[in-house]
Amino acid sequence: MRIDALLLSLFRSLVYAFLLAPIVIVVLASLNAGNFLTFPPQGLSLRWFWTFLDNDVFIDAIVYSATLAAGATAVSLVVGTMAALYFVRHARQKAELVRLGVLLPLILPEILTAIALLFFFYEIGIGTEHQIALFTGHVLMTLPFVFLNVSTSLQGRDNAMELAARTLGASRYTAFRRITLPLIAPGVAAGGVFAFIISFDTFGISFILKGAGSAPLPIQLYDYLRFNFTPEAAAVSTVSIILTLVLVTLADLLFARNPDA
Amino acid sequence: MKRLRATFLILPAATLIFLFVVLPYVTVLVMSFRAPADGQPYGEGFSLAGYAQFFNEGYYAWSLPQSLVLGILTTFVCLILGYPVALHIAKASKRWRGLLYGIVLSPLLIGIVIRSYGWTILLGNSGVINSTLRQFGLIERPLPLMYNNFGVVLALAHVFLPFMVLPLLSALQSMDPALGQAARSLGAKPFTIFRRITFPVSMPGVQTGCILVFVLAISSYVTPALVGGMRVKTTTLLVIDALIDQFQWPFGSAMALILAVSAGLIVLIFARLTAMKWN
Repeated sequence: MRIDALLLSLFRSLVYAFLLAPIVIVVLASLNAGNFLTFPPQGLSLRWFWTFLDNDVFIDAIVYSATLAAGATAVSLVVGTMAALYFVRHARQKAELVRLGVLLPLILPEILTAIALLFFFYEIGIGTEHQIALFTGHVLMTLPFVFLNVSTSLQGRDNAMELAARTLGASRYTAFRRITLPLIAPGVAAGGVFAFIISFDTFGISFILKGAGSAPLPIQLYDYLRFNFTPEAAAVSTVSIILTLVLVTLADLLFARNPDA
Repeated sequence: MKRLRATFLILPAATLIFLFVVLPYVTVLVMSFRAPADGQPYGEGFSLAGYAQFFNEGYYAWSLPQSLVLGILTTFVCLILGYPVALHIAKASKRWRGLLYGIVLSPLLIGIVIRSYGWTILLGNSGVINSTLRQFGLIERPLPLMYNNFGVVLALAHVFLPFMVLPLLSALQSMDPALGQAARSLGAKPFTIFRRITFPVSMPGVQTGCILVFVLAISSYVTPALVGGMRVKTTTLLVIDALIDQFQWPFGSAMALILAVSAGLIVLIFARLTAMKWN
């Protein structure tokens, strides 16, 4: 191997290490037995995981975030799948406009969207009460991911099967439920998993729009990290990372996708 | 009738986007021209006070070039780090590609708070890097890796690298391999192939990636806040401070819009420059 090729592959390996480093470090830090995040760790222990399990604040935050993510994902799945169907099958010359519109929450800076929503909900007199603004924000953030995944799985498929089913007397709804939905199921599932993870992790929207009372996990973690430096935060983060990995693996196993997707 | 039924499919999404994205952004625009007030978010009538305050007070005005430079540096670092990786993945065998793809996407699946937190563990004064260097006696006092532009750019580059690699990858994968083979058979050196063929072909990806990373970087909040420890003042940090802590909505909105317009101008100049050179 020539020297410049060697240097290039060394550089690439460093970049891959750079990508993984902070995640690996958080997991390692959570196993630290000491009272502070020092390095090298003062022995290995799971004590911070027990501390975390005894801490209602973080447990509540995880439950709250999961509930919020499940709700937002459910709404996004319905709205996003409908929009994707329209985009691929019916939009024609308006396709670019539809795509741009649905992807707006992804393209616009999240923090600015959050501020805009805050003002808007104050103007109409709701403010941050009853978590309506927060929930709306999470639906907006997750919508593009459902739309992208479903429209990808719809593209390149004609609607011949649906037409055949309709010709044989199936109602529009039956044709959708028995033909279209099974065909796009992998896309819908992937969109749902993405949406859940995005909602679970999103910061800007939750930071600006959270009302009084419980807060989603990223906000609770951020508040904690501003004043504390114990490995408990690392334990919480590790649990969150594991939850995400479990979710992705489950989706992968349940919906064995085609490798090109 | 058939068109009508089809339109019903897009209705929920269209309503959602119009009500909760388009209208709220109009609200921000209007808010930036409202009069300031004490004890409440905004007062009666309209004024340009918010805009004037930003440019008159150095504390605020200087945050703008600071933010933009931070964004440009982050974009540059992402491009340098991301290009070889995208090239590598585009050429990798199918089995490897999945794994490498996973590594590139992994930061996206882990929340931004956790990732920034990881960097504070690595870069802090008693963090992993400084402790290790000190143990080997290479340094006497900790290197200033955090609470400055260096740390913030490094962490931002990590957070947004996937947004650079993915567009690059899709541009590179659409390249016809025959192009490179033809050039090689005509005697072109690897670097010449890269300069004359690969890079120009990937230009749309470079453009998309740079614009995405730049916009995301200048509007990010958590990473500058945690890694910069409030000592790196970006306009986005000041916007949130004005809106949430000081309750000055017109001023905060004016700042946000000034940042958005400045960023938009840079994106426009960048798009114009790169288009002229390569198309």
